[in-house]
Amino acid sequence: MMRFLLLFSRQGKLRLQKWFLPMTEREKKKIIRDMTTMVLARKPRTCNFLHWRDLKIVYKRYASLYFCCGLEDQDNELLALEVLHRYVELLDKYFGSVCELDIIFNFEKAYFILDEFLMGGEIQETSKQSIAKSIEASDMLQETMEEYMSKPAF
Amino acid sequence: MPAPIRLRELIRTIRTARTQAEEREMIQKECAAIRSSFREEDNTYRCRNVAKLLYMHMLGYPAHFGQLECLKLIASQKFTDKRIENGNNDTDLIIEMCRDLAGEVEKLLKTSNSYLRKKAALCAVHVIRKVPELMEMFLPATKNLLSEKNHGVLHTSVVLLTEMCERSPDMLTHFRKLVPQLVRILKNLIMSGYSPEHDVSGISDPFLQVRILRLLRILGKSDDDSSEAMNDILAQVATNTETSKNVGNAILYETVLTIMDIKSESGLRVLAINILGRFLLNNDKNIRYVALTSLLKTVQTDHNAVQRHRSTIVDCLKDLDVSIKRRAMELSFALVNGNNIRGMMKELLYFLDSCDPEFKADCASGVFLAAEKRWVLQNPTINAGSYVRDDSVPNLIQLITNSVEMHAYTVQRLYKALLDDISQQPLVQVASWCIGEYGDLLVSGQCEEEEPIQVTEDEVLDVLEGLLVSNLSAPVTRGYSLTAIMKLSTRFSSVNRIKKVVSIYGSSIDVELQQRAVEYNALFKKYDHMRPALLERMPIMEKTATNGPTEIVQTNGETESSALDSKHPPSITQPTNQANDLLDLLGGNDVPVIQTALPTKPASAGGELLDLLGDLSLSGGPTPAPAPSVPISQTPFLLDGLSSQPLFNDTAAGIPPMTAYNKNGLKIEFTFERSNPNPNISVITIHASNSTEADMTDFVFQAAVPKTFQLQLLSPSSNIVPALNQGSVTQVIRVLNPQKQQLRMRIKLTYTLKGAPVQDLAEVNNFPPQSWQ
Repeated sequence: MMRFLLLFSRQGKLRLQKWFLPMTEREKKKIIRDMTTMVLARKPRTCNFLHWRDLKIVYKRYASLYFCCGLEDQDNELLALEVLHRYVELLDKYFGSVCELDIIFNFEKAYFILDEFLMGGEIQETSKQSIAKSIEASDMLQETMEEYMSKPAF
Repeated sequence: MPAPIRLRELIRTIRTARTQAEEREMIQKECAAIRSSFREEDNTYRCRNVAKLLYMHMLGYPAHFGQLECLKLIASQKFTDKRIENGNNDTDLIIEMCRDLAGEVEKLLKTSNSYLRKKAALCAVHVIRKVPELMEMFLPATKNLLSEKNHGVLHTSVVLLTEMCERSPDMLTHFRKLVPQLVRILKNLIMSGYSPEHDVSGISDPFLQVRILRLLRILGKSDDDSSEAMNDILAQVATNTETSKNVGNAILYETVLTIMDIKSESGLRVLAINILGRFLLNNDKNIRYVALTSLLKTVQTDHNAVQRHRSTIVDCLKDLDVSIKRRAMELSFALVNGNNIRGMMKELLYFLDSCDPEFKADCASGVFLAAEKRWVLQNPTINAGSYVRDDSVPNLIQLITNSVEMHAYTVQRLYKALLDDISQQPLVQVASWCIGEYGDLLVSGQCEEEEPIQVTEDEVLDVLEGLLVSNLSAPVTRGYSLTAIMKLSTRFSSVNRIKKVVSIYGSSIDVELQQRAVEYNALFKKYDHMRPALLERMPIMEKTATNGPTEIVQTNGETESSALDSKHPPSITQPTNQANDLLDLLGGNDVPVIQTALPTKPASAGGELLDLLGDLSLSGGPTPAPAPSVPISQTPFLLDGLSSQPLFNDTAAGIPPMTAYNKNGLKIEFTFERSNPNPNISVITIHASNSTEADMTDFVFQAAVPKTFQLQLLSPSSNIVPALNQGSVTQVIRVLNPQKQQLRMRIKLTYTLKGAPVQDLAEVNNFPPQSWQ
């Protein structure tokens, strides 16, 4: 399973952090620090895999953002690249030609899309359309809920 | 706000309502409370609230807003999140909550809503991870998991099954029957046409394919039937998958891992390795990396197949990518064997010189280990000296001793290295050890492989003394150099200088140094006659147990397991090991020296001898001062030490035995052997036989040799020579003849025959020339 997924810019600013295992704040900070240092230090045409502690780190750069995830020993690194790519595709479909700014200003949506795609470090849905539909449905639900909340109890 | 009430409470309350209106009122109130609770984003009671909402929903009241919370609940890690932070006293709380929730999750696994079902499956995965005992709870729900049409549910189901099989061997056996179904699903995925919903670059749902392959791997491992059932599909996937894109390669990668792990047929295994070989040649670095990692896993079991790709692997050493270089290095070490050692060493040493510092430690150690398994270390890796791990030092020293012809070259190079740089401790230790051992070769300037350098004894001593005083030297290193200086006292002529150095360190603050110095001082003062023998050249050591990086160097596919039995301790403290092979601890300068060996009688004036030699066993401790000057009797300990060494390696071919004495019915014959490794030692076995009618009891054989020889007498087999040649007493004499003079011996025999003591002296001069030349 995936232990964590981080998105950070070329300057090392964290844009998104998803942790699939409970961790203390201190541990999280350490991981973020280590990941950004390690990944940003990599030369351009090197392979996308690293070793860190007992985890395999897979990272991919999309425009100005680095997508970095930590995998356990049994996981398939090449497939992880596909997972990262799938997530970018989902974001792209939702935001329409997604860029870093979209993620900065709509981070809760980015999280939501991620939550529809991955759960507990594993893929929960492999169909792009299904995920798109779920997001639509929950967008609607969100609106309904807000409406509901603002109305007096029946 | 007060804690929300429990579901049971709510149910009880509602049941007390007598009218519909009253009930509605209660529900309203509770809804409001729940809404506020949700708004507060307090995760603690979400579980409870959702349960209540479900109940209210069941009663027919709209609870839509609860659905979202329900989803959030299932999706969240709340039962573990934040709780762990607060410490272990919450573990019970977590387990409690897991149990509570597991029931809910199990129910949800069966709902008709596939959206919920897939989430429920992943929830189950995490519940099982937290509380494995709850696995049983989900067993019934798994019955129909694989007949799903929905890929999302199918995928998560496979994940759930994988988790269960990984954690419980019983589950594993139980789920083996699913193999045909899994094979079918996989086949459909491959054979089916284009499906827009799940397509990735022409491959249908690669995520699911990979997960199924992984589950098959677990199910097929160590099970012949399951493995056989998968053979076909694996072959199909391996041959039909498109490899132009990363996606295809991801599937191939997983397939290869599965093939290697299950009990696949050999053809399939060869196919897998060939795929990896192809990966190695791929331009994509990721794929090369993945190939190297997989080959590393398989090199144990399919060594020969991997060897075929050796040249490609060695090429990867030159790759610019650090990750690839590291993998290639590890794999290269695993591939080194007797046939390719020369070529591989060249490549690896070149790599060592040019690689980044982070690699040097492991690479250097790997090189030493690989060389140790084979043969000569031709090119001591000077640059990496400091990065080598400490345990490599004794290994390297042993290597050097064993490569006899390289001694001069080795010591010369190491000396030069020391001149340049004394900061790298392991290197300095090895270098000072070598200088101590082979210092004579160094100053005599004999070296074929390189240009001999002119070094004087004083220069060498300067260097070693420099090590002693330098701040850069670790205490261990200082010990090495002091011992080395001491050893040189028998190899160099400037003994006075050495004596001075040694005496200075007799008052060193460092206890280890002080002890050594004091002992060496004693060696100079009281036991000077023993010094040469004690500080003699080291014999070739027995193989030690390799304790290097086991992940780097494994058995290189050969049946020869290095003789890793008894761990021979690193023989750094010189005199200890010298004693083992020592010819003559009791040799003296007085002539003639009567040597007596008694079978059981303990040393009389040799009380010290006993104690001291007791320490001189194979356990390399700090060396005690050597034995007293009066040679008395041998001790059992010494014998033990000696007998563990192979005393008689080759019988000296063709040295004829001789009769040394033949009088009054007592006949003593000498047989000869040469003791390897020291050709100056002759080993003589006496055979005493008795042709009279009565036994000769209290038989004692004593021998003396001229000044230039040294002699050692071992215990006789017994001191009764049976009558009428019914048996013989044997005893071993070892003679050190450094000057190769003609051997002469005076022997004294005492025994009791028919109650009367008999004593006789004789001279033995008829030694065959071969025995002492």
